[in-house]
Amino acid sequence: MTSHLEPVPGPLGGRHPRIDAAAKVTGSTRYVADLALPGMLHAALATATVASARVLGVDTAAARAHADVVAVLTAADVPANSIGVIFGDQPLLVTDRVRMVGDRFALVAARTAEAAWTAARLVGASLEELPGVFDPVAAVADDAPLVNGASNVFRTFHVQRGDTAKQAKRAAVVVEAEYRVGGQDHAYLEPQGCLAIPEGRERITIVASCQCPFYIQQGVASVLGLPLAAVRVEQAPTGGGFGGKEDYPTEPAACAALLAWHTGHPVRLIYPRELDLQATTKRHAMVVRHRWGADRAGRLRFAEVETFMDAGAYVGLSTVVAERANVSAIGPYHVGAVRVATHVVYTNNLFGGAFRGFGAPQVTWAAEATMDKLATRLGMDPVELRRVNVLDDTRRTICTGQRLRTPVLAREVLDRAVELAGWDGFRAAPPAADGAWRHGMGVSLVLYGCNLHWGGQRLDRSSAVVILQADGSVVVRVGLTEMGQGNLTACQTVAAAALGVDPSQVQVWQPDTTTVADSGPTVASRGSLMSGRAILDAVRRLRVRLDPVAAELLGCRPGEVELAGGFARVAGSPERAVAMQAVAKEMSARRIETIATGWHRTKARRFDPATGQGAPYEFYAMACHVARVAVDPGLGIVRVEEVTAAHDVGRVLHRDALEGQIHGGVVQGMGWGVSEELRLDRGRLVNPNFTDYVIPTSADAPRITIALVESDSEAGPCGAKGIGEPSFIPTAAAVRNAVCDALGVEVDTLPLTPPRLVEALGERHPFAWVVEAATRPATEHEPATVGPRA
Amino acid sequence: MDVPVQRVVRPRTLDEALVMLAEQPRSRPIAGGTDLMVQLRDGRRSADTLVDLDGLDLAGVHEVDLGVEIGAATTMDAIARHPLVRRRWPALAEAAALVGAWPIQCRATLGGNLANASPAADAVPPLLVADAAVRLASPSGERTIALERFFRGPGTTVMAPGELIVAVLLPAPSAGRVVERFVKVGPRREQIISMVSLAGRAVVSADGTLHDVRVALGAVAPIPVRARRVEAHLEGRRPDAATRREAAARLQADIAPIDDLRAPAAYRRIAAAVLLDRFLEACHG
Ligand SMILES: Cc1cc2nc3c(=O)[nH]c(=O)nc-3n(C[C@H](O)[C@H](O)[C@H](O)COP(=O)(O)OP(=O)(O)OC[C@H]3O[C@@H](n4cnc5c(N)ncnc54)[C@H](O)[C@@H]3O)c2cc1C
Repeated sequence: MTSHLEPVPGPLGGRHPRIDAAAKVTGSTRYVADLALPGMLHAALATATVASARVLGVDTAAARAHADVVAVLTAADVPANSIGVIFGDQPLLVTDRVRMVGDRFALVAARTAEAAWTAARLVGASLEELPGVFDPVAAVADDAPLVNGASNVFRTFHVQRGDTAKQAKRAAVVVEAEYRVGGQDHAYLEPQGCLAIPEGRERITIVASCQCPFYIQQGVASVLGLPLAAVRVEQAPTGGGFGGKEDYPTEPAACAALLAWHTGHPVRLIYPRELDLQATTKRHAMVVRHRWGADRAGRLRFAEVETFMDAGAYVGLSTVVAERANVSAIGPYHVGAVRVATHVVYTNNLFGGAFRGFGAPQVTWAAEATMDKLATRLGMDPVELRRVNVLDDTRRTICTGQRLRTPVLAREVLDRAVELAGWDGFRAAPPAADGAWRHGMGVSLVLYGCNLHWGGQRLDRSSAVVILQADGSVVVRVGLTEMGQGNLTACQTVAAAALGVDPSQVQVWQPDTTTVADSGPTVASRGSLMSGRAILDAVRRLRVRLDPVAAELLGCRPGEVELAGGFARVAGSPERAVAMQAVAKEMSARRIETIATGWHRTKARRFDPATGQGAPYEFYAMACHVARVAVDPGLGIVRVEEVTAAHDVGRVLHRDALEGQIHGGVVQGMGWGVSEELRLDRGRLVNPNFTDYVIPTSADAPRITIALVESDSEAGPCGAKGIGEPSFIPTAAAVRNAVCDALGVEVDTLPLTPPRLVEALGERHPFAWVVEAATRPATEHEPATVGPRA
Repeated sequence: MDVPVQRVVRPRTLDEALVMLAEQPRSRPIAGGTDLMVQLRDGRRSADTLVDLDGLDLAGVHEVDLGVEIGAATTMDAIARHPLVRRRWPALAEAAALVGAWPIQCRATLGGNLANASPAADAVPPLLVADAAVRLASPSGERTIALERFFRGPGTTVMAPGELIVAVLLPAPSAGRVVERFVKVGPRREQIISMVSLAGRAVVSADGTLHDVRVALGAVAPIPVRARRVEAHLEGRRPDAATRREAAARLQADIAPIDDLRAPAAYRRIAAAVLLDRFLEACHG
């Protein structure tokens, strides 16, 4: 694993130890399941095991009678029974209708977790099963059973640019394809969990494993009918999120809060893994239809994309996911005319929601598959076709009509990844088969919009607090969360760089809604960018009071003070310096305010949702992954041997955290691409465990080679761009293209499991005939049927 | 959530254990717990009392007159590393090294793998090709039965309630140039339950013909199976392309895979044929 830019001195771009690493690896970090309070009760949920039914009644008598049960609540006990994060289409507890497996009938609080879950199973719901709909394409049919509201198509999002019919006439080759891209579970180590602590009937504290404390604050306040100020949410150390703890944790938090409110006791709710897998939000399964054409020279003339997103029974964040999917739908390519329609479709399947990449991975998978198909039809090298079409400084308008800021580094990431991976050598002389293993190489690019979409602009601001302690150490509070991705450390780095102190002097604490203002969600790869910018603003404001004190100690003008190396010093004469400790001590002695707040908001943009034209994102990050795989065609097994990842990152804040994001993104992307499959039987997950929901282990991790393409841009703090999602998005597509290269067949369904690959080979598999032979079994007397090509 | 068990008892001798199992209602032996703990938690099995087999001195590989005896409590890790097992029963050593991942191998026992009776249990196909027998103990005494007759169906065996596996007997393998292999198929490199597994063993004569061919497969039938039709066909033949093809066809009558969430039956048939073909190719080389 190599990085091609050496660290610069100082904390920026360096590798100082992560704030949370030692505590986490030594087991000293206390997650919410480790927290207990005197008198604390345990919550459990009574949930539906069928996906579509009318509710005739809910009987809680047996649950109430169970030993150690303190309270059982139903919809009638909920002051405001609605939980949808954007739209009011989801009840916290169902009343008349079950729409998904996992819908809640009742909440139980008991003295032990065992009693609570046992009692929850005793809640009797009398149901009349109704027909359900389990496929997003089937759901749009006129006669499909309705899931939620008057139409199963909740909304359709468009991109319309140019005249595709006219451009189609110039296309020499046209590819039509239908891709079935499966969903994914976040598989965070720590399941959903929270602790609700009531203080009388006045106010409540929620400690939650979550990405978005402000969402929980709003959700709990609305369910309980409290002012926002009466709901305090503290983010517990969070064992992974990946989007799964964006909107969803509001549901368990509201459940625990209700029980705490009713019983007056602290209530802790921890999801068992099976329920977590079944009921929480997932990456959307999508059906993506393509009609793309290119001329003889390989120039893309038009691209038509129609996507059916399986939202599940409630909209949740699906509309926002669709908006992001649209922007990435044709990749970082210049296309004459584009027509995209993305339908958000209700079904009775799993609940679609936020997941690293947010719609972009599915459409990227499809776009990059189509690029390879076009290359095959044109007789072109896949990289060559991409070079003909990729955006760069001279051609930088994306499908929404937005002209990107320069530098546009899509061509650079492509060139770097391809060169490092040895693409040309591999194509010129593909390695010979090694026993059963055949080798393949594939490439994928991604165009990723950083921060929130135009539609979420109102949330795109961020708050920070910086407190200089009397000993010169620094407390930082931000509104965006650490969930393992390294936000605490990124914020520490930015604050240390801005104050010129060693990172070890800076402590960034987990967010709490009472210490900073609403900073929106920790999503969209915006954590470091938005917190970092707010920290810089806070430091700027702190220096209004700090610099004059330092100047006095230094005998210079405040404008001459610079902070570096743990000192305040005179710009231009670094020998005239005074330690930051001394400055802090002096400020404390003089009772000068040592706390400062900071704020950042993104620039306002214009966008037309009807046509999908305008500036959906403020700035963009490009990435290119090249995958080298070995495939055993006989058994359909894929081994991803190496992924070369080139990323347009702006400037590096913390090199280990950045590389960690890329390593994790690649492995998670590979898992989604080859082995992770949410298997449903009428909306019920039949593999709700990690035996049969197959995520990669460390043994499967490929060699990961990283190329960072740095540039100065007006992006995030110190020039950084987001990395959380771009690191995930291209991997599965590159792997798919590599596998198809190795096998010589097209596979348009994700994931590429062994049975699926063997099926894709069809009669080309040397033993395909045994299946038919099996239906005519040989006996001892009769000669066995031998295949067609003996 | 914890497992709903009331007691764990720790006998110090086999007899004590047998008495406890006989006297305690709803009791069950526990060895490494790598199957049982999972099943207790999700309700597939239940017990009020667990009888821990750890203190019974049932672990170890011992040479006996006719071959070796592997104690029921021997871990997969110990089997995978045992020099004699590696030399004479390489398929078993390989299978043990492919159970879960190393932390699991340090707890998972051979007896537990057999008693749990999964059609996909990885130690079983190698033991079937070794013509292994299982030594069982109950309050009324001991009995030894061929492993091939030990399994009844998924999760069930011929063991009576309260009966324990004491050891597995492996007769000395036949002499000559032996090719022996174990291969399992799954969607990742470690921590997989076999979608299909195959153990093969054959003596290759100087003229290239195969003798004493034994082939066993996992996850292709309600219990791990010997491919008797395949074995009969291969006896005395050279594993050339035509023979291999015929073997693949005959194999289909030896197995009875189903569609389940891990793999469709069609895939299992094809993959079993591929594994057999590769084993025979190795015998040909
Ligand atoms: C993460 C993970 C991965 C796994 N991977 C694999 C794999 O790749 N391949 C595979 O084959 N298995 C796998 N397993 C299953 C399991 O590890 C093996 O089957 C193991 O050999 C079971 O042994 P144990 O000692 O843990 O049995 P236990 O769980 O202690 O017992 C299993 C059953 O056998 C009974 N039992 C145990 N010992 C005796 C005895 N001496 N006499 C009578 N009954 C007895 C118990 O009562 C129980 O019903 C995996 C399990 C886990 C948790």
